[in-house]
Amino acid sequence: MADDEQDSKEYRWETGYEKTWEAIKEDEDGLVEGLVAEFAQKAARKAVTQRRGPVRLGMMRHLLVAIDCSEAMSSQDLKPTRFLCTLKLLEKFIEEFFDQNPLSQLGLVTMKNKRAEKISELSGNVRKHIKVVQGLSNMTLTGEPSLQNTLELAGRVLKPLPAHASRELLVLFASLTTCDPGDISVSVQNLKNEGIRCSVIGLAAEVRICKKLCQDTGGEYGVVLDDVHYRSLLLEQTSPPPRARALDAGLVKMGFPHSAPPSTQSDTEPPITVCMCHIEEGEGVGGEGHLCPQCRSKYCSLPAQCRTCGLTLASAPHLARSYHHLFPVDPFEELKNEGQSQFCFACVRSFTDTDKQIYRCNRCLEHYCWECESMISTTLHVCPGCASRPHLYQRLPDTA
Amino acid sequence: MMADDDVPSDSSTLVIIVDTNPNQRYITEDPKVLTGCLDAVIAFANSHLMQKSRNELAVIGCHFHKSEYLYPSPGKPLDVRQIDGQYELFALVEKTIKMRLVNLIKSQPQEEKPGESLLAGALAMGLCFISRIRRESSPALKISSRILIVTGSSDTAAQYINYMNVFFTAQKQQVIIDVCSLDKHLSLLQQGCDITGGLYLKVPSLEGLLQYLLWVFLPEGSERRQLVLPGRGRVDYRAACFCHRELLTIGYVCSVCLSVFCKFSPICTTCHTVFKIAGPLQIKPKKKKMKV
Repeated sequence: MADDEQDSKEYRWETGYEKTWEAIKEDEDGLVEGLVAEFAQKAARKAVTQRRGPVRLGMMRHLLVAIDCSEAMSSQDLKPTRFLCTLKLLEKFIEEFFDQNPLSQLGLVTMKNKRAEKISELSGNVRKHIKVVQGLSNMTLTGEPSLQNTLELAGRVLKPLPAHASRELLVLFASLTTCDPGDISVSVQNLKNEGIRCSVIGLAAEVRICKKLCQDTGGEYGVVLDDVHYRSLLLEQTSPPPRARALDAGLVKMGFPHSAPPSTQSDTEPPITVCMCHIEEGEGVGGEGHLCPQCRSKYCSLPAQCRTCGLTLASAPHLARSYHHLFPVDPFEELKNEGQSQFCFACVRSFTDTDKQIYRCNRCLEHYCWECESMISTTLHVCPGCASRPHLYQRLPDTA
Repeated sequence: MMADDDVPSDSSTLVIIVDTNPNQRYITEDPKVLTGCLDAVIAFANSHLMQKSRNELAVIGCHFHKSEYLYPSPGKPLDVRQIDGQYELFALVEKTIKMRLVNLIKSQPQEEKPGESLLAGALAMGLCFISRIRRESSPALKISSRILIVTGSSDTAAQYINYMNVFFTAQKQQVIIDVCSLDKHLSLLQQGCDITGGLYLKVPSLEGLLQYLLWVFLPEGSERRQLVLPGRGRVDYRAACFCHRELLTIGYVCSVCLSVFCKFSPICTTCHTVFKIAGPLQIKPKKKKMKV
């Protein structure tokens, strides 16, 4: 995606004069309601069609998010400040990230005073990360950030990870300058050689070194227009990236903890044990838990990596969360509403005059309203019509 | 049916999915039982509507060849007059459901043998309905939503992906999925209940169906905490391997597509990726370790 932006080499101000107001036309009654609905539908649809990517994705991701905590973050062009806006969006991002990539790990880094500091280790624990992000809100924003130090840190953290997982860095960069100890292009080259994908979201304006970093390492670069755009740029990062060629595929040994059949001694309480995830804090004493099938260490939540034997522990639904990337719903066909159908198949809403377009699934030939269509393609990933037809409900991966 | 929007108050949306597949064991043994079950479901649906005037209801019939809304009927509602002082809405619910169910059963293809009930599709329809109700009601209104499945079929792994997608969407949208099983133990649907925080109940006898429905499934999510209801039980979350469909405690997962295998194999059968074989096969030359 970064490539086509590069090829077109066109900034908005270099294109011709756009008369955006001419697109707005009143209908016979002098109303624009229908038109506004149509614009909303088009915008919603545009966001969806971009998503269709190649099937081979890097699904086990290791992502470091570097947050700029320099003075530039205190600017108030995003409300209330760039920093608080970032933290708020980041919470949403973390939740969405683990929803989309349940077996992945995330780490947080702050950039301030020319230093890069790791504030949370790579892990799959959503609560912990969100707590860390919330704890940041009282931080004093000082100094300049250093992009190079961040890159070096990311390199150090991500290098030792197994080659089958995708390794990524996402920088939220508000400053227009970076204060570096050495030649940054060497650091960029190192990351490129390691196959670490770097993406940057700029909060101020386009910065050349960021653009170059993203281009070289195969990441995406975006500059926010406002908070809504910021949110959409951030959430774009949650869908797994197309698998970089450098990645090795591998079979990962994984454990699926399963408690002993309960019926035998359901009356006796399970013995009190300490779980491994909270052993440092001295908490987590309790009965129930998930036992690693290899070494019987106890964990209170999944997914986790066993601290004793290193086995990845997960449950079947964690894996299933990613299957919709592999078996996506075929895009519906957009049709002019000519009374083909009186109501939406999924939500039985009657079509009205404002429904200029309706959507048809080309497998089951049912018609849908635009709201259901966008819900099906973004969150549900199941066509209700196909899923309730005996010949169509099974979707197998394309063998091609 | 939508009440006025001026006074915001809480309401709850209930979608009931009734499995009408003729190959369920209790129907093949005695077809008349279906009528009894349907009456229980209608009485239950009306009790839901009775609790608050803003409560919304949808009933979806899941037959083997397709699923269809039994209530509300698309387009104009039936014209129903008051009978014996019964609230018109209750009569409307009963009449609409019975009429549309007859049409659904009549439309079944004669030459086809009934297969499994495709509950995942009906669940997807229910989720779309709930999100429509949420869209149309005023944002100040707090709406709790749930889906109740009443079924006597068994669940098979063939619909696994559809089920999981539906469960995760329900979890995201805070829709509770309740399951009332009339015959067999349903492990997949039980996972759905566990994921979305709903209740799973296997009814011991069909005669008392209405009692079970009213006691267990009528209270909405927030009220359930105060009641003593059937426990969650333990849910089996082991993954089944793609090759033999056996449940595993330790398996191998393809890093590209997350397919599960019970044995190490050099090529992924789902995405045709060739795996790099790590292990003692390579005899390392006495050079420095190769960097990737």
